[in-house]
Amino acid sequence: MPLAHGEKLSTYRIQALPSSHLLKVLGFRKGTQFTIQSKQPFKGPIVVKVGNRSIAIDYDIANEILVEEVVQN
Amino acid sequence: MNCHGDAAAQVKPGNNKMKILLMGNPNVGKSVVFSKLTGVHVDSSNYTGTTVDYTIGDINFGKQQGVMIDVPGTYSLEATSEAEKVAVALLEEGADVVICVLDATHLERNLGLAFELKEYPIPIIYCLNLMDVAERQGIKIDAEKLAEELGSPVIPTVAIKNQGLRELMQTAVKLSKERKDSEPKLDEEEKWNRIKEIVSKVQAQVDKELTFIEKLEDWTIQPWPGIPIAILVLIASLGVVVGGGKALRAVVLLPLVKQVIVPFLTKIISLVIPAGIFRNVLVGEFGILVIGIEWPFALILPYVFLFYVVFSFLEDSGYLPRIGVLADGVLRRIGIQGGNIIPMMLGYGCAVPAILGTRAANTNKERIMVAALVSFAVPCASQSGAFFALLGDKSIFALIFVYLLSILAMLAVGVILDRIIPGKSQPMLLEVPNLLLPDKDAYKKKLKLRMKHFMMDAEGAMFIGIIVAAIIAETGILNEFSKLLGPFVEGWLGLPKEASLSLLLGIIRRELAVLPMLEMNLNTLQLTVGAIVALFYLPCLSVFGVLTKEFSLKTALFIALITIVSAFLFGGLFNQVGRLILGLMG
Ligand SMILES: Nc1nc2c(ncn2[C@@H]2O[C@H](COP(=O)(O)OP(=O)(O)O)[C@@H](O)[C@H]2O)c(=O)[nH]1
Repeated sequence: MPLAHGEKLSTYRIQALPSSHLLKVLGFRKGTQFTIQSKQPFKGPIVVKVGNRSIAIDYDIANEILVEEVVQN
Repeated sequence: MNCHGDAAAQVKPGNNKMKILLMGNPNVGKSVVFSKLTGVHVDSSNYTGTTVDYTIGDINFGKQQGVMIDVPGTYSLEATSEAEKVAVALLEEGADVVICVLDATHLERNLGLAFELKEYPIPIIYCLNLMDVAERQGIKIDAEKLAEELGSPVIPTVAIKNQGLRELMQTAVKLSKERKDSEPKLDEEEKWNRIKEIVSKVQAQVDKELTFIEKLEDWTIQPWPGIPIAILVLIASLGVVVGGGKALRAVVLLPLVKQVIVPFLTKIISLVIPAGIFRNVLVGEFGILVIGIEWPFALILPYVFLFYVVFSFLEDSGYLPRIGVLADGVLRRIGIQGGNIIPMMLGYGCAVPAILGTRAANTNKERIMVAALVSFAVPCASQSGAFFALLGDKSIFALIFVYLLSILAMLAVGVILDRIIPGKSQPMLLEVPNLLLPDKDAYKKKLKLRMKHFMMDAEGAMFIGIIVAAIIAETGILNEFSKLLGPFVEGWLGLPKEASLSLLLGIIRRELAVLPMLEMNLNTLQLTVGAIVALFYLPCLSVFGVLTKEFSLKTALFIALITIVSAFLFGGLFNQVGRLILGLMG
């Protein structure tokens, strides 16, 4: 499922992502886990929390990042 | 910003003047480290052939003298952006030692750059900064173990509290005498695996209760309550600038200028120069020395100063990118990315740094759009000061109306420009920095630099404008000019014909399009029309210069043309409609 369809406060793991230099240096690789911290109105960016940092990802890019939900217990 | 791009090259490594490169990811506290370690002699320069500026400062540590270069913050050294290209170029010029600042709260990502630096034959010392924030977040890092893994010294620091910086410099000086060989490049996969391994060895995370700041960090990035918070912050900022400016003006500056400085000058001039036209030009009611001091210092300066006080604070606290995230959804409708709201807000201070600020990693389309919007409808602090003086006391509604109009116009122009300017905007992808209390020293240095630029660029031009005004007023050129423009100014805009002076002077400085109206006894409709014309009218000469330099003469002329046309169009329409309505009512 595309990250853009994810839900706030759920945790996901990246399955596939577009090749982008900036995504890479911000620490997004296959298998990276994160939690969605906030979603913005009008298809604004999705803010995800990877470790201790918050990263805002444009809606269209988030649409190209495929993720699976990580079920936490 | 002067263009001596090779200032860095003048200091060759190897001689007894030490050269230190200060590097790191963006937002790791690099500029704070820089401002603590360098002396008063600080200058920003443009790196030749790029749009990137870097700062260079002198250091005196014990007997050791040298320079430190604050290299633009980058995530890697692959030369994919202008900032990275400059960083690589500076590294290749050589240095005695590199100080690599790491953010202790984001160790893993920071180590990416740390590893790439090892490929250069320059000794490295790591400055593990933001230790206080890491501690607050429950992150523990074993600095000694990290140093072992990296093969170079690691000094934990809290830059804003000056902790660890002495040791950092001592070690850096010692290290600069050593030689280091370059290490082989690791491939991506290998590198990140190695980094993961290191982080798991040296870092431990203990659970802590969320502190207030962390809660605030979370709130300010949610639409709710983030958007209401943003609105409150903006209103509070406005309150400080407008209220504080008014108070400063009324209580301190106006009395100082009107009761002390001007009478003093008048007295001196009267002693030296006999009564007559020449004395009048200098210290008459509208004399150069009277207006030339009152306008810039008493009417404009307080607002500009307070604007930068507030803006620099918001900027250094890490809050502004959050507004960018919240605004992205809306701004993308007009074709620009949310992050551009920062240069646009800076435009309320002065359009020149705002236009320079668009350099940061945006596409050309976005750069032109933001520059055009700022030139078109964002009143700068000087102009706002003039608006407050003009409308503040007479009609607060007209004042609010002018600002609402400016926002509406920006949206409308944005939609249109988005259609006609080819290209795409760059999608948002950014790390939201932590919220932090700004550091006093770095903050003061920044404020000083900004005020210095304002004084040099603005006050000078304004004084010249006032001299020009005095000359054309005294020599009768103004009368000729008024005759020419009179029918248009009186008929279409409904302003007295002396208002053509505003139009003439507005070319030099934005606020000069407003200030002459102070002396004209206008009614509310006329005041509003005047303010509307001034709002959209030509950006000042310096803006024209920056537009030409940053884009092209064609772009600058194009922006100048649309601003003039819309100023007269909207001002005139408002006047005609306003009269019609007043006519119907009365
Ligand atoms: N709490 C804390 N804040 C810091 C420290 N070092 C820097 N800061 C703050 O971190 C923010 C970013 O610093 P800055 O020097 O502008 O980052 P740069 O982009 O690397 O130059 C500023 O608000 C600083 O005041 C530190 O050690 N502790």
